[in-house]
Amino acid sequence: MAYLERASPTLKETLLKIYRAEKPIEVDQHFHEFGSIQYHIKYSVSDPDIVHVSTSTLLETQGAVTLKEISSHTYEVITNIAVGVIDIVDPPRLGFQLTLALHLDNIPRGKEAIKIITRISEIQALILSSQLKEMLRKLNFQGDSQAMNNNNNRPIRIVYHPSEPFYVFKQPEKITAVFPMNFKDNSDVVIATSFFQELVEVGSQKEMGKAPQCSWSPIPPLQLRGEPVQDLTTNSGFVSFDITSRHVEGKRLDKTVWNLLNFYAYVKYHIKCSRGYIQRRMRKRMDSLVKLLDNTSLEDEADHQKENGRCNYVKEFVKVPKGKLMMKQRCKEMTRRVKISKFRIKINGCARFRFNQRWIFLPKFSSKPSNKSSYTKLD
Amino acid sequence: MANSLRLYLACIKNTLEAAMCLQNFPCQEVERHNKPEVELKTSPELLLNPVLICRNEAEKCLIETSINSLRISLKVKQADELENILTKKFLRFLSMRAEAFQVLRRKPVQGYDISFLITNYHCEEMQKQKLIDFIIQFMEDIEKEIRDLKESVNTRGRLVATEFLKQFM
Repeated sequence: MAYLERASPTLKETLLKIYRAEKPIEVDQHFHEFGSIQYHIKYSVSDPDIVHVSTSTLLETQGAVTLKEISSHTYEVITNIAVGVIDIVDPPRLGFQLTLALHLDNIPRGKEAIKIITRISEIQALILSSQLKEMLRKLNFQGDSQAMNNNNNRPIRIVYHPSEPFYVFKQPEKITAVFPMNFKDNSDVVIATSFFQELVEVGSQKEMGKAPQCSWSPIPPLQLRGEPVQDLTTNSGFVSFDITSRHVEGKRLDKTVWNLLNFYAYVKYHIKCSRGYIQRRMRKRMDSLVKLLDNTSLEDEADHQKENGRCNYVKEFVKVPKGKLMMKQRCKEMTRRVKISKFRIKINGCARFRFNQRWIFLPKFSSKPSNKSSYTKLD
Repeated sequence: MANSLRLYLACIKNTLEAAMCLQNFPCQEVERHNKPEVELKTSPELLLNPVLICRNEAEKCLIETSINSLRISLKVKQADELENILTKKFLRFLSMRAEAFQVLRRKPVQGYDISFLITNYHCEEMQKQKLIDFIIQFMEDIEKEIRDLKESVNTRGRLVATEFLKQFM
């Protein structure tokens, strides 16, 4: 699996920290990214000029070209990132595919240093891309490549992440990359399927004529016949991109390779964002519905009438912030009790003492004579 | 609003107006308990005939009435897989937060997507007409929200797809 950003943020941060430190600091850091990529950074005070960065990834490619190790071409590209700064250590640290020795003294000062460190942090992206680039170069568009002849047009299986393999195979005048799509959640499957349909529709538009032809099918393409069953069992179908010679020319090759490597990450990111968006909308709608239901209470009606007529001290006194919905629910019972309590004598400014009604008891005076106490006419 | 929807909602509104005449009624089975009879269904004499209002096969509303409570169950239209997922997600989201609604049932009646339980206490605390308006508004909002959500998800998908393919050019 590749990632949307080329530079590894943790690697970059650690290298910058080492580079900027006034005094040498001891660093022995080991971390994983995306489950399949691992790094180890070793910097010792006893050897303050050299930082050792080791990395390894799941490079498992089967088919016409079998690549399990980093090619010599990739080594060359890595060394050329910053000549004199990067040395490849041979053999690499145990358990890693590549170990680099970075000479901090040779890194130029200023902005250039940040650029070089960023490029060094992109090392995994470089390894992953160069492998696919090499394959696309080998599977050239001239029809009879050596690789093709040897392996009878068998698709190449590329695995950068154990659960996300994809296939590349040659067809007349084009190379097809097929992505078997699998998702754990049902809602993810539906959002992804809708996205793939849009992808096919957009790809077939005239404006997108220069983009690779894209297709989506719930069943695997015929060329994948004979591949492992677990790869061909998907819940979201198969997305294919037809890469023509146009897409691998010059600088476009880098873009094409990077986009293909990132396709899984791109789809997953889209799904994640869509789910977040749905959740946001649902929350908003729920708030509006709760407000609507709150307006139905009889107390509101009574309060409304009161506001129109006389003082509204009580309402202000017990007012609950509208945004805190749950809080409002909890306070509701208390609020209701306070609100429904009637004050028999109304004195301006005394409304705030309403809570003390129990112990400030005021006798009831009435000018209206009751039936019992009314006098009877004597004959 | 579509004409058929207006008629459907008007029918539900009228039925609710007729059905929502609830009164306090103590439980006949358990002493000093007040329980919604529509849920217990222990005394048939306290139950009224349920009313089923259908707009089509996929959209219907069941109104069950008893002496002290009323249960409204709704089935929302789900035309395709995306609508189905969105409806399930949204209604589950609301059901999980049923305490905020007071009248919402945590679990819908079997065969329906969402249920409301209105008791005589709700009718005492709330204005009857506004409560009915709330149910109608809720139904309208749910339909509108799901339609909008579906549209938004598709539009987002289209934009993302366009951006992805543009990178190759």
